[in-house]
Amino acid sequence: MEQVLQVLISGILSGGIYALASVGLALIFGVVGLVNFAHGEYLMLAMYIAYWIYNFSGLDPYQSLIINLAVMAVIGYITFKVIMERVLDSDHSIQMLLTLALSMVLQNLALMFWKADYRNIRIDMTNDTMNLGFLTFNTPRVLAFLIAIGASVLLYLYLQKTFTGAAMRAISQNGKAAQLMGINIKRTYGLAFVIGTTLVGLAGLLISPIYPAYPTVGASFSTLAFIVVVLGGLSSVPGAIFGGLVIGVVESLAGYFAGPAYQQAAYFLLFILVLVFKPNGLFGRS
Amino acid sequence: MIKQLILKQNFVLWIIAVCSVIVPFVLPNRYFQDITIMTFLWAGLATSWNLYSGYCKRLSIGHAAYLGIGAYTSTLLYLNFGISPWIGMLAGGVISAIAALIIGGTTLRLKGTFFVLSTIAFAEILKVMTITSKEITAGALGLMIPYQPGFTNMIWQGKIPYALLTWIYMIIVLFISVRLEKSKLGYSLVALGENQEAAENLGVNSTRTMLVAFVMSAVLTSFGGTLFAQYVMFIEPTSVMSMGNSINFILLAIAGGMGTAFGPMIGSFILTPVSNLLRGYLVGISGLHGLILGLVLIAVLLYRPDGILPQLKLLFRYLFGKIAKPGKGE
Repeated sequence: MEQVLQVLISGILSGGIYALASVGLALIFGVVGLVNFAHGEYLMLAMYIAYWIYNFSGLDPYQSLIINLAVMAVIGYITFKVIMERVLDSDHSIQMLLTLALSMVLQNLALMFWKADYRNIRIDMTNDTMNLGFLTFNTPRVLAFLIAIGASVLLYLYLQKTFTGAAMRAISQNGKAAQLMGINIKRTYGLAFVIGTTLVGLAGLLISPIYPAYPTVGASFSTLAFIVVVLGGLSSVPGAIFGGLVIGVVESLAGYFAGPAYQQAAYFLLFILVLVFKPNGLFGRS
Repeated sequence: MIKQLILKQNFVLWIIAVCSVIVPFVLPNRYFQDITIMTFLWAGLATSWNLYSGYCKRLSIGHAAYLGIGAYTSTLLYLNFGISPWIGMLAGGVISAIAALIIGGTTLRLKGTFFVLSTIAFAEILKVMTITSKEITAGALGLMIPYQPGFTNMIWQGKIPYALLTWIYMIIVLFISVRLEKSKLGYSLVALGENQEAAENLGVNSTRTMLVAFVMSAVLTSFGGTLFAQYVMFIEPTSVMSMGNSINFILLAIAGGMGTAFGPMIGSFILTPVSNLLRGYLVGISGLHGLILGLVLIAVLLYRPDGILPQLKLLFRYLFGKIAKPGKGE
């Protein structure tokens, strides 16, 4: 029982990271209407940036947070301006293929610059644990969870409470009507894209002390983020947070009961089931 | 008369397809012959992918799954029961058809994005299952086909027989694709791709049409999977069912021209050799060849989303007809 509880909580902890990695995708999909297959690649980039900064200056990922996020925002802005903005009116399949191609480019760039080796950041905190009764937690994971959930909730509040947030929600409900109300669509699109890539970058930064960086690390997070947003109803930010937690728990329970090899299979199966029986997500509106 | 025949554009493309069989005989060494075989094989595979996803404009990013079913079915039957890969190929086709019926039956009705994601999920599940069921598939270790040349074993000495086999495969798939394009099924598919609601209102049975095309596409892909396994003689889950393979189908089809019978072939004729040569010559800098392919794909999508084929057709008209100048439309 204790073990199951431990597994459950560790699932929730990873779930928080998955949530943060996915809210950006949900935002980009909801506002820009773009399925971004290169989403995970931004997580990979942030991990490498954290690694680079750590190697050159000794600043650990938490200390370099601001620089890292700023770089991620700039990268996100450049991709939006150079590539995405041109295809906003194109066919959906063209957009998807373009993001696929982009992920190919970014992965191979990483392979060129950093080779396929696993790059670890070993800070003092990496192996720290904290105890709560009979449960033991890895400190960076708890920290990552707290920051991740905090950032996701901040995004939610931003969408609810600010004017630009309301503009984003308006566009995701009805783009044309929003434009008629005087909302600058392209600027809002750009902003949503930048926020999305920055948030997934934050997720990458948070896992960098506990997870190695390698060129295809983003790809596995991309598919995971897709599953999470589909569970949450595709364009809903709270849905993505919830979906992330669900996937985290499913993954670690499957790992505990069926074996680590079945973790992926378990959430893919859940994904197909949801697609077939509740295509609007676990609590999406029809 | 001849001029008119030439101007029927598919004629020139058929000539290119048929005459390409000379290439492996002319090429001096095994390395180039190997590239030719891969070019034929991928031309056939991309054309199979195009049967559903190209005409209907609904991307399947999971066709590596059917490639895997074809490769694993024939190989397992051959290794465990000594059944000839020729029969194994058909068995793989049957299994792929059943899988496509089940998967298609549940996912084809999904809207755009959801459908795309479900194809990825299916391919990933299949890959994980192949890795985990070690007793049957040897898991990540992969399966080795012993070298016993013979027609029934579908194994030969030298490259020429493989080149012929993959060329025949390509021609057959191409023929099916050309026929489909001019059939009721083909027109219905294109109509569904343009506007599903309008097509349904005009009496197109969308579920049946899409399912038939999807199953055809899966079965033909799976045949290619068997050929791949027999040629490489070693298969493992990640080399066959990887996402990279799934993307390659799309890359070739879109570069040549999605939704046209000859587009994927042209895409493979250009990109497969380029990709292989790049990989061969840029071996010192890992990642560079993938980077170049990615950039090519981005350029095609941004500037020529219809692919190379329309440009090529204009060129043919200019060369053989001198009726229309290039750039003045079809």
